[in-house]
Amino acid sequence: MPLLRSAVVCATLLLVAPALAAEVGQPAPAFNLKDEVGASHALDQYRGKIVILEWTNPECPFVQRHYGGKTMQRTLATLDGKKVVWLAVDSTSHNTPAKSKAWKAGQGFPYPVLQDQGGEVGHAYGAKTTPHMFVIDEKGVLRYAGAIDDDPRGRSTTPTNYVEKAVNALATGKAVSPTTSDPYGCTVKYGKSS
Amino acid sequence: MLAGWILSLLVAAAPAPTPTASGALHDGKPRVRATLVSDVTQVEPGGTFRLGVQLQMARGWHVYWRNPGEAGLASEVVWDTPRVTMGPLSWPAPEVYRSPDGSITSYGYGGEVLLFASAHAQADVQPPLTVVATAEVLVCEVQCIPARLELTRVLGVGPRQADASGSVALDASAARVPRAPAAAGLRVTVRRTTSFVPGLPFEGELMVERIDGSPEPLAGADAFVPERLPGILAVRAIPEGTGRLRLWGKAAPDPSPASPRIAGVVALGSGGAVEVSAPFELPHGLAPHPAAAHPPLPSRTPGLPWMLLLAFLGGVLLNAMPCVFPVLALKAYGFARTVHADHGSVRAHALAYTGGILVSLLALAGAVLALRAAGHAVGWGFQFQEPLFVAVLCGVVLLFALNLLGVFELTPPSHGTESLVAAVDHSHGPLRSVGEGVLAVVLATPCSAPLLGTAVGFAFAASAPVVLAVFAAVGLGLATPFCALVLVPGLRSRLPRPGAWMERGKQLLGFALLGTGVWLIGILGSLAGVDGVVRLLAFLVVVSVAAWAWGAWRRRAVLAGGLVLVLATGWAALRFATAPAQMAGREAWSDEAVARSLAQGRPVLVDFTADWCLSCKFNERTVLASEQVQSALVRTRTQLLVADWTRRDPAIARRLAAHGRAGVPMYLVYSPAHPDQPEVLPELLTLDTVVSALERAASAPGALGLSASPR
Repeated sequence: MPLLRSAVVCATLLLVAPALAAEVGQPAPAFNLKDEVGASHALDQYRGKIVILEWTNPECPFVQRHYGGKTMQRTLATLDGKKVVWLAVDSTSHNTPAKSKAWKAGQGFPYPVLQDQGGEVGHAYGAKTTPHMFVIDEKGVLRYAGAIDDDPRGRSTTPTNYVEKAVNALATGKAVSPTTSDPYGCTVKYGKSS
Repeated sequence: MLAGWILSLLVAAAPAPTPTASGALHDGKPRVRATLVSDVTQVEPGGTFRLGVQLQMARGWHVYWRNPGEAGLASEVVWDTPRVTMGPLSWPAPEVYRSPDGSITSYGYGGEVLLFASAHAQADVQPPLTVVATAEVLVCEVQCIPARLELTRVLGVGPRQADASGSVALDASAARVPRAPAAAGLRVTVRRTTSFVPGLPFEGELMVERIDGSPEPLAGADAFVPERLPGILAVRAIPEGTGRLRLWGKAAPDPSPASPRIAGVVALGSGGAVEVSAPFELPHGLAPHPAAAHPPLPSRTPGLPWMLLLAFLGGVLLNAMPCVFPVLALKAYGFARTVHADHGSVRAHALAYTGGILVSLLALAGAVLALRAAGHAVGWGFQFQEPLFVAVLCGVVLLFALNLLGVFELTPPSHGTESLVAAVDHSHGPLRSVGEGVLAVVLATPCSAPLLGTAVGFAFAASAPVVLAVFAAVGLGLATPFCALVLVPGLRSRLPRPGAWMERGKQLLGFALLGTGVWLIGILGSLAGVDGVVRLLAFLVVVSVAAWAWGAWRRRAVLAGGLVLVLATGWAALRFATAPAQMAGREAWSDEAVARSLAQGRPVLVDFTADWCLSCKFNERTVLASEQVQSALVRTRTQLLVADWTRRDPAIARRLAAHGRAGVPMYLVYSPAHPDQPEVLPELLTLDTVVSALERAASAPGALGLSASPR
């Protein structure tokens, strides 16, 4: 009986482990992805800067709402450009670099859209929704995972922007709070095989 | 079917308000249609009826439950019903949805669902009654499309007239709403089997039994659908025998202000479902499952090295705390001597001091483990609740002080400065270093709470090896500053040379130790009253006389006689009657007192304190007694309750344990709006944290505290 229980617990651990893969306070999973124009971006090359990952999907109404209101662009503008790197990641299985390129041109944002159609990086981070935000400190440790703000329905005139809060805390050497929040939005459209 | 969708689309586009609407267009087709359902066509003034929003989704599309899960957005219904009061929304048991690769779980409804609420018409309800329901839903298949559906229906006012089809639909939906366990003849038990530490995994059990105690079969797959649970990052339920689920999950990394709860819906094998909402606690207060029985738990998690580091740093910081500082200062005087001894002897002193600290901390940990195993509800600082312990400690401190003041020496007096240095060196031998290490530990415990609270709270809920490791880390931290100063060559050369100043310094430190004695006497006074203090002081006079006699005559007979005298006096005098605590002004804490005030709509601030806890006293004097906090208490009509742990009290120990604490201080703010979820304030209070917590508690809906103030 104890053996059986251990087996069940181990099996569950294996099942649940991917869901909890990236943990706040632990080193963020490494990645090396090409963006919409084919340039490579590895997490290692941004050591020394605060890296913000934004899981995105131009087809998702939540992403559309935030881009319509320029949430991401405005968040980036409030942060110190020398210390911060913003990377959008698209794990939608049916996305293409051409789609990302067209979307980026239409929205006019400056950061690259990393192509993760296989979903490996999305799964490594446990990205669930679009948008789903991750903030990684200068040493490569994950410091925040969750929603962009506390306003899932887009009703507040003064939402609390968790990413801005986390980056500002890191820049001034304070503790990030909150370190997690419930992300909201569309599910990440992973393929079946990943 | 298609024609129906198009028709409803046309209806929705029309300006006239209608009881149906459709939305979430995808490829030109609406994916959801909503209808406002009532069980009456005519409302009776003062009567009760039901209103609901029926959502019909196109094949393959779904909307979300009140907890959408890992993605999605909760469905929402906002009512506009003039002179009709609506109850909370009733939600039928949800279905579980998974992304194609299985990595994302969400909860919701496909096909059709009717979300409804009870409605109470006031006596003066005006005809015709126009009711408006606005449903905001996120409709998902692969794509997600938000929809806002505004539904309007006009009802008559007069004798009740039932709406037959509406009643049938509402009854059918009501049958799908999870019931309270008692209503289903069941009992649901939830318990934790491991510790619950932010950022770490936990395990627990959920059991469903019939009233006769036999287990109730549960649904095979997805038997448990959780609510959003504050402080819990994720929780999974694995079937484990009939009527039993093993819960496995992870605590959120940020400490939650509330103690953990497990709430959600349990699907039964018979097809129904029951609601569960219960505190997620260990069955017997403190004692968690033995470490061996839960393989994936704290001893192997990455949290442990971090905890050890925290404990170590806490130990280092303890050197600067008021309780320990006299000992460190005493030790600093010791440095000046030892650094001029040869290197080997210096190292021996450092090792002895570290050893003294480690041994006594591990002994303390061992005692705690033993007591915990024996089922005692003990907590950090518990030894200060024993008057005899305090009295003996007082005697030891006095002896140290008398020694420093020169009343007696441990070695024969010598002549000339050279031999004096040698003599004092000898008297500060390794054994004395051990003793000072022990003393540092004994005095440090009551000061440790604010710095070591996290590590110690963790240690008390963890397995035995972890407790020992954490205590050892605290000890190493406590010993490190001294060792570094002595063993690093550069630092040593900066220390001043010995000379006459040392004798003066030594005497000054003697007075500092006497100050520590005053603090200890104060503790004893609160435990045993004036009578106890007089007994202790009499005992201390005898101790002083014995020490003086030994210093003056230095004969074995004098030492033996002194010892006999001290022991005899101690035996006769140190008998303390512990009277019940006197509480003046502020009301004493009890669970009943909390419930009473909350029932009156008043917030409650509970101060868990003890006279031997310097941090508590500091907080009370600088923050709680301040004008700002006092006026905030009056303004928010908050009841201040004091839980005094100066003497051991099992009820207080249990309450501390329920919030993962093993000692005081702890501050809880209860709001009448959330009587089961008090906010835990930080151990070091500031004016801002207290005042804002009180205002939050008073302004939460359901609280009466701020109702008089304009909004």
